[in-house]
Amino acid sequence: MKLLFQFFSSLKLTVVLLSFSLLLIFFGTLDQVQYGIWHTQELYFESFLVVWAFPEHAPLGQYLHWIRIPMPGGYLLGGMLLINLLAAHFTRFKLSWAKCGIFLIHSGLILLLISELMTDILAVESQMPVDEGGSSNYSQGFRENELVFIDRSHPEHDSVHTIPASLLKPSKRINVPNTPLSIRTIRYHANAEIGRATNGSPTESIATRGAAVRMGIIVNPKPETYSEEEINTVSAFVEVFKGEASLGIWLVSNVMDERFPPQMVDAGDRSFEIALRFTRHYYPFEIELIDFKHEKYPGTEVPFNFSSEVKLTHQDSTKNQKALIYMNHPLRYEGLTFFQASFANQDKTSIFQVVRNPGWLLPYLSVLLMGLGMCAQFGRHFFKFLGKQRG
Amino acid sequence: MKKIIYLIVFGIAALVVLGGLRSSKIDSDFDLAAFAELPVQVGGRIKPLDSVARNTLLILSARQKVVTDEGLTLSPIEWFLDLTMRPELADTYPVFKIEFPDDLGLVGLAVQGQRYYSFNELLPFSEELRRLYGEINPAPELRSPYEKQIADINNGLMRYHRVMHSLHPIGGAERLDRLVDEYQSYLATIQPGMVELRKQQAGEEFDAALLKRFITFADDYLKLSTTAHLRVVPPPPPVDPLEDWKNIGLELLDVMKGKPLSPYVTSYASLTMAYRSADAEQFNREVSELRERFIADFPGDISRVHHERVFNALQPFYISMQLYVLIFLAVCISWLRWPKELAQAAFWVLVIAFLIHTSGLVSRMYIQGRPPVTNLYSSAVFVGWGAVLLGILIEKFFKNGIGAAMASLVGFCTLIIAHHLAMTGDTLEMMRAVLDSNFWLATHVVIITFGYSAIFLAGALAILFVLLGVFSSRFNKDTARSLSAMVYGIICFGTLFSLVGTILGGIWADQSWGRFWGWDPKENGALMIVIMGAIYLHARWGGICKERGLMALAICGNIITAWSWFGTNMLPVGLHSYGRMDSAYAWLIGFVLAQVILIATALLPWRFWRSEFGQSKDRKERMPISGARQGAGT
Repeated sequence: MKLLFQFFSSLKLTVVLLSFSLLLIFFGTLDQVQYGIWHTQELYFESFLVVWAFPEHAPLGQYLHWIRIPMPGGYLLGGMLLINLLAAHFTRFKLSWAKCGIFLIHSGLILLLISELMTDILAVESQMPVDEGGSSNYSQGFRENELVFIDRSHPEHDSVHTIPASLLKPSKRINVPNTPLSIRTIRYHANAEIGRATNGSPTESIATRGAAVRMGIIVNPKPETYSEEEINTVSAFVEVFKGEASLGIWLVSNVMDERFPPQMVDAGDRSFEIALRFTRHYYPFEIELIDFKHEKYPGTEVPFNFSSEVKLTHQDSTKNQKALIYMNHPLRYEGLTFFQASFANQDKTSIFQVVRNPGWLLPYLSVLLMGLGMCAQFGRHFFKFLGKQRG
Repeated sequence: MKKIIYLIVFGIAALVVLGGLRSSKIDSDFDLAAFAELPVQVGGRIKPLDSVARNTLLILSARQKVVTDEGLTLSPIEWFLDLTMRPELADTYPVFKIEFPDDLGLVGLAVQGQRYYSFNELLPFSEELRRLYGEINPAPELRSPYEKQIADINNGLMRYHRVMHSLHPIGGAERLDRLVDEYQSYLATIQPGMVELRKQQAGEEFDAALLKRFITFADDYLKLSTTAHLRVVPPPPPVDPLEDWKNIGLELLDVMKGKPLSPYVTSYASLTMAYRSADAEQFNREVSELRERFIADFPGDISRVHHERVFNALQPFYISMQLYVLIFLAVCISWLRWPKELAQAAFWVLVIAFLIHTSGLVSRMYIQGRPPVTNLYSSAVFVGWGAVLLGILIEKFFKNGIGAAMASLVGFCTLIIAHHLAMTGDTLEMMRAVLDSNFWLATHVVIITFGYSAIFLAGALAILFVLLGVFSSRFNKDTARSLSAMVYGIICFGTLFSLVGTILGGIWADQSWGRFWGWDPKENGALMIVIMGAIYLHARWGGICKERGLMALAICGNIITAWSWFGTNMLPVGLHSYGRMDSAYAWLIGFVLAQVILIATALLPWRFWRSEFGQSKDRKERMPISGARQGAGT
């Protein structure tokens, strides 16, 4: 037991873990060329074990593609470092003025690791495009999808019933919340090509209802893409039931959006619109875009500023406000942060990045701790050194 | 003896500095300095023509001078004058640098041993060059060296043509000699020409000759407006700093819309005629008139433009680069003879070189109105500056020349890197919107870059330790101890700065796109430096590595920092890929290999170490018991 404690608190372990982190980060950077930033992040930093493979398309790839390097993933290393640090503090450190610098640096570090973990688990990023003069009360994820059933019968508002796309596993029966309906996924494609059947191509489709039948739409599965410039066309064939009776099989896909006529599911007394779309987050307020500005340096196409003047109308009207969102100056509102992310539509549409990250303040706190600690630690060393030089 | 050594060192330093100052002066009846300061709007900024001349020449020739076939050396602004006002002469100057002319497959072009070619020499091959250009890979980053060369020549010819026609219409000598008349006759033609045009459109009878003359002008200036490269015509006062300036062709076209012709256009016309007829008096009068007008319209910009011209001419980084070589040599000699005097002289020259380096840095900040680091080029300048600053501090404490030598080495190398990065043209470009934040540029970027300086300096000191330890018999325990202390101190410094800089970067990212940490390549690179520093410090505090192990780790720091600085920019991903580069790949690999060899050298068994330090370690190892006793004693 003592030996185990010694092992976990040793500085040697620290050095070994840090060296592994160095390797992990290096390969986790290299693989971004292949897998894009998001997927690499999951593979390397939000995992316990990862195997790096020599990419086939890299120089010398045809000779070296068999090379594999396994290494501990981010969660494993982060966790071990945390244990190592805590164990070291329990065994070796006595709180004293001499050690307070180190102590502060390490607490900052612990806080930073925790905040990173919190961000991984809790933070939600989405985007909100708003047209000039228009407004919006929801934002859209850009990787996650959801299956929705929309009841538009109420004159004032629609009711939306959702199932995350990650639950659309074939052959499982899922009840659609607050409706008499349930679904079963027949087929699910993380990415696919969707098109009209043409002469010569196979036209057979397992869909029995909806647009796929009406317009002769077929689905060709494709490998998932990790590129930041492309989106995955998530598609599924979903059988809808009312009670035990099957109502038919619909094809749904996130590219069959508002441009397509809505696909309706008739459940007797009520009818629902069925669709697969990027996950939406609804808010109790509306953002109206009053004006979007895109300024360039004179005589060039180099952007110099993007800014959006917005008006927020909350259900609770005491929270109404106006704001200017521009580069490096986000709007923090209702636990959300709105950033000027992009624009479209000849500068008529502004796109905001919307982030909900409950732990966003922690890094700031940790910075403070580490900064103080560093100053204390190195300052002490430095003055000691100065003293020695004089003496 | 003492005095003589001081005198020699300072004498050489003075020669270097004076040489730099003298080369900036040009003897001519024409007021070239004033002409060089005439304003032009490029990349969103008002610059002197001098900067345009230099950048164009850098892109075409990879140097800032022209050597004619007769052996005359022209300064960039003299060349620019000839290019725009006496093109028939400029076409004979060899300004196109072609590294491997034989590889082009153009029969009759390559001349043995000649790397610079004139426009006239390339002219017969222009068809062929254009055809070859059409065949190469359209994606620039996938081109082979041969294809790059073809593309460079074609782009160079295009740029040459466009810059040539920046100040007046396309045409031969007889046209340039009558520019003022041409503009007058154009102005006189507009009114009646428009009338005739309307008549023609209405189907009435019209004066065909007059209309033809008018349309010829219009066609010509339309072509000019798409060709002329430089925006030299400011908008009429009152001036809005965000307004686009026009090129000559656009300004001439806009006269048709009823706007008055800018006096800048006519001034450039008279300037051209005066220069062509070698009338220096008239030329100088026109230049000063143009200058006065600019000062009146842009009172806030003239001092900046003036300063930029002077900065261009003095080339402070070039001077300090030469001084760094001098310092390095002086210190090296000091280890063999006259240690005290030479080292002290070298220290003071280092201070002078540092001040010159600083003045260059500050000048750039003033010209651009930005903190010192805004792109890869300026980061190279700053890394050197930071390393020299730290070297001076080390030298103050240790006074053995080591700090000065290594600082000057790092300073020299980074300035060389900067010199090569400058080949792409303007290094004072505007910042993209997301980077447009002086606060974060001044904190995050500067601190991170200063971290690079420290780690590189520590790496250089570690390399010195290894080389001296293995190869020099004079390297003893005391030197080893002081070197260890230096490396330790500098790495503490570097780790502190890298950590703080990285975290500030995280905060900036949180401010600008809501993600404290996004695992972007550049972020990862910075984090790797911090971790490297942490490994070194923990290995030292835990006694896991002894002197040379720590030195090996410090050299490792060089690899990590080089990766973070350049390697990450070579990856085709990430949010930070603003300073992308496709070459220099081989250099990075070479650098890394060299460091690996040095690390291997550091880990050589003690018996291969020739130094006193290494030998004593070897003896200790052979006699483990007595060694342990000795070790316990110290």
